[in-house]
Amino acid sequence: MKRRKTTPSGVVEAPLDPRTQVRAKEEGLPSVNEGRLRTYEPGDNVRRFLGLLSSRITRSLAVSLTACVHCGLCAESCHYFLARPDDPTMTPVWKADQIRKIFKRHVDWTGRVAPWWVKAGGPRDDEDLNRLKNIVFGSCSACRRCTYNCPMGVDTGLLVRFTRGLLTELGIVPEGVFNVSRDQWETGNQMAVTETDYLETLEWMRDEVRTELGTDAIDIPVDRQGADILYTINPREIKFDPRSIAHAAKIFHTAGESWTLPNWGWDQTNFGLFSGDDKLGAYVARNVYEAAERLRTKRIVISECGHGYRSTRWEGYTWAGYDQKLPTESVVVTLKRYLEDGRIAVDRTRNTEPVTFHDSCNIARSGDLVEEPRDVLRRVCTDFREMFPNRRENFCCTGGGGLLSMAEYRPLRLEVAKIKADQLRATGAELVCTMCHNCVDGLNDVIKHYKLPMRVVQVLELVSNALVVPGTNERTKHRL
Amino acid sequence: MSDLLRILENEVQIAALVFLAVVYTTRLIWLFRFRTRKERTIAAGRASAGAGYSLMNVAMPWAMESTRKRPGLYAQFVFFHLGVATAITATFIIPYAPGLFKVRAVVFLFQIVIAAAFLVGLLRLVRRLTNPVLRQISSPDDYFSLILLVLWFAAGMLAVPNEPERTEWPLILFFGLTAFFLVYVPFSKICHYLYYPFTRFYLGRSLGHRGAFPPAGTKRPEARRAGENQA
Repeated sequence: MKRRKTTPSGVVEAPLDPRTQVRAKEEGLPSVNEGRLRTYEPGDNVRRFLGLLSSRITRSLAVSLTACVHCGLCAESCHYFLARPDDPTMTPVWKADQIRKIFKRHVDWTGRVAPWWVKAGGPRDDEDLNRLKNIVFGSCSACRRCTYNCPMGVDTGLLVRFTRGLLTELGIVPEGVFNVSRDQWETGNQMAVTETDYLETLEWMRDEVRTELGTDAIDIPVDRQGADILYTINPREIKFDPRSIAHAAKIFHTAGESWTLPNWGWDQTNFGLFSGDDKLGAYVARNVYEAAERLRTKRIVISECGHGYRSTRWEGYTWAGYDQKLPTESVVVTLKRYLEDGRIAVDRTRNTEPVTFHDSCNIARSGDLVEEPRDVLRRVCTDFREMFPNRRENFCCTGGGGLLSMAEYRPLRLEVAKIKADQLRATGAELVCTMCHNCVDGLNDVIKHYKLPMRVVQVLELVSNALVVPGTNERTKHRL
Repeated sequence: MSDLLRILENEVQIAALVFLAVVYTTRLIWLFRFRTRKERTIAAGRASAGAGYSLMNVAMPWAMESTRKRPGLYAQFVFFHLGVATAITATFIIPYAPGLFKVRAVVFLFQIVIAAAFLVGLLRLVRRLTNPVLRQISSPDDYFSLILLVLWFAAGMLAVPNEPERTEWPLILFFGLTAFFLVYVPFSKICHYLYYPFTRFYLGRSLGHRGAFPPAGTKRPEARRAGENQA
């Protein structure tokens, strides 16, 4: 690191705005009344915070809190710091130190005896807790890139999520986080999609695919007992991008797959991952696992979603205290299997635009699906090119960690997205493919803000585009 | 040899080591009182392989971008910690195997390694004082620990010839600092080596279970998708 001048902190000073929380209480929402969704109450929040801190620390968290040697090597792994290199408060170590110093002051040894010696201290009041909120929610996307670059193995991403969870328990959260959590508690999905909307959208997409393929044999089944695959989706697919469901339906039909969507438990996304609320995480994940049990399916398949994959495949089982019984995989793994087994045929000359691949943090760093999407893309595109760095070293789309739902941090998010924009621009690709709906929105923001000549696609779309459907002469050029 | 030096090299060192061991044991008991979470998912990789890879990370500068892009800092890390190990070894050789330091080549080798660590210590101190990021995150303990180590290296260089008949003060300084270190270390950042195996183990085990550690290409392909295809 070169010698630099320090500048004022880039941490956004967003005040706590509990108006939505007050409204939720006034409306008597069940999740609030039953204490599942916590709201802000002025009072002894510091004492409650410290109580939660002591009771929730696990051993892996404790070692991450004690082991940091302040070497600063994590700094240049963070896109926030790379974009604001004069600002020490953008480094992972500084952010992690804000919870570490509280831990040292109240739980650890030296900090309790001689706090000034190890810079232990705080929090004193709700203002301090709100400042902590702005750090862990507003200046970190919990991408875990720093975790992979820490020589000591300190998991700063885990510390950030842990701290978010403590603040969520006190209602000291960005308004967007509260709203999405409320929707997921109240409706079982994070976009408050109603059952009617859900079913009607599926029927609409079924009709679209029927028209495209010229056959009524195709279906988008709901609650079909004994299907091989339980397909779970992101509510964004219902609300904003139903084409992705149509792509999946077309491919499943062509592969002769036995599949179904559930009527309840179809949302594989999980805001508990972002808010740090393990209870919400458990509730949403359990909905999916119980749907698979109820319908006696043999496998859970997760549509393209980074945090949904991580939550449903990995974290959800632990949150829910639910031993995994069924294979649980990303739809990209399913597609790869279809291609390898010859269950679907593709014509890669239908995708000739240069395409690059953006690895979702939650999939690559916390789930290790890095070769599978590349394998699929090389089969369905003629000009696939890597961006650098890639795989586990890829940079966040900058919309991770739930940041897309937090409007107050948007200017900083877009400023630090310069790193991602440079990375995208250098590929010269016209398409950036990602297997995450969150990344789609994050990348679209980056592309728009930095005026990049490219658009975002997903793996399903490219496979659907290249799909050769037997019995139809039509090259099923993407029309949906 | 004076009684002061004899006691410092023997009884004081042993007492300080016992103190260190007691505090470390207490520390580990404290650490093990924190709960762990049961893993409930079907593995996509091998947790043990991940933990092993993670623990060996220290010897693989190419494995992390942070060390790959900064080979100079990695080299500093190596020299610094070699110096620590060498100086610790010297604290045992001097009282218990003094004959080894009758060989000039051995003394010279020890002095070279410790001198390199001394220089790296100075570089680290300058970096910590001048780099705004490090300055912002550094605590008094960070500075004190580093300064103490630099002094200890300097004393070590002078002490390893082990010639109390000529002059005792380098040995008194070296062993005095060593004893102080043994008492101070468990309460300072220097005890990070106690936590290192744990942080790397837990991270490696978790990522190994998920198939992320070791990275693709260094593990058996059939183990990778086990959790997804063979429930």
